[in-house]
Amino acid sequence: MANKKATILLQSGELDKALSAFIFANGYASLGIEVKMWFMIWGYNCLKKRKSWFSFRRKYDPVRESGYRVLETDNILQPMVEMLNRGGVNHLPMSRLNLLGLGPILFNKMLKRKGIMGLEELIRSAEDLGVKFKMCQICFDALGISVDDLIVPNVEVKGVAEYARDTMEAHVNLFI
Amino acid sequence: MAYDKEINVTGKACPMPLITLAREVRTLEKGQTVQITGNDPIFEESIVEFCREGCHEILETTREGRTISMAIKV
Repeated sequence: MANKKATILLQSGELDKALSAFIFANGYASLGIEVKMWFMIWGYNCLKKRKSWFSFRRKYDPVRESGYRVLETDNILQPMVEMLNRGGVNHLPMSRLNLLGLGPILFNKMLKRKGIMGLEELIRSAEDLGVKFKMCQICFDALGISVDDLIVPNVEVKGVAEYARDTMEAHVNLFI
Repeated sequence: MAYDKEINVTGKACPMPLITLAREVRTLEKGQTVQITGNDPIFEESIVEFCREGCHEILETTREGRTISMAIKV
């Protein structure tokens, strides 16, 4: 039992997809299976800290960020993406029935009434159960994200080789 | 019969009973017993699956309407 492994790759930034990814992660982890969650492109949005429209960071710490960022090739596009794609765990849209922002509010109400855990609670419990979070390095670099912008403290920034190794070792890989 | 730990997850849906049980089982030692009570429609299936995966023994199952109590030996 101890050496069973699962990987989940979250690529979408919608509430319903993030919710299913984290429910699976929690399910696997509670059965004692080692889970590694990978995040790509819009998948980060559920782990981002919510910031105001104009509070994007213009300055990065070059020493600490140099492990996964190439700051010389940054331009105006990185802050622009950050401004338009703010994310935030409680501010995700739905892939269907978004209803101009009303959909997620109604959906969260429905979850609460049915006793289903919300997304933030699921993220915290995944952390508690020892799920590992791994981030895609090129997405970090291209979209100008820093590990400080995330609500989970322990993340690893890795490349596709590591992902290939993880998935080949694992018994199951989910791409959401 | 007295159990080492009693958990109540009444009113909680799918992943919650499993997560709570998994957390509690980690704090217990082998041979200790735990009782879990819940009323989720798929509660029993989830707990049976959990026990099969972790090689735990189900000692007792009691049903009162929808509420099910299960005793597990870790």
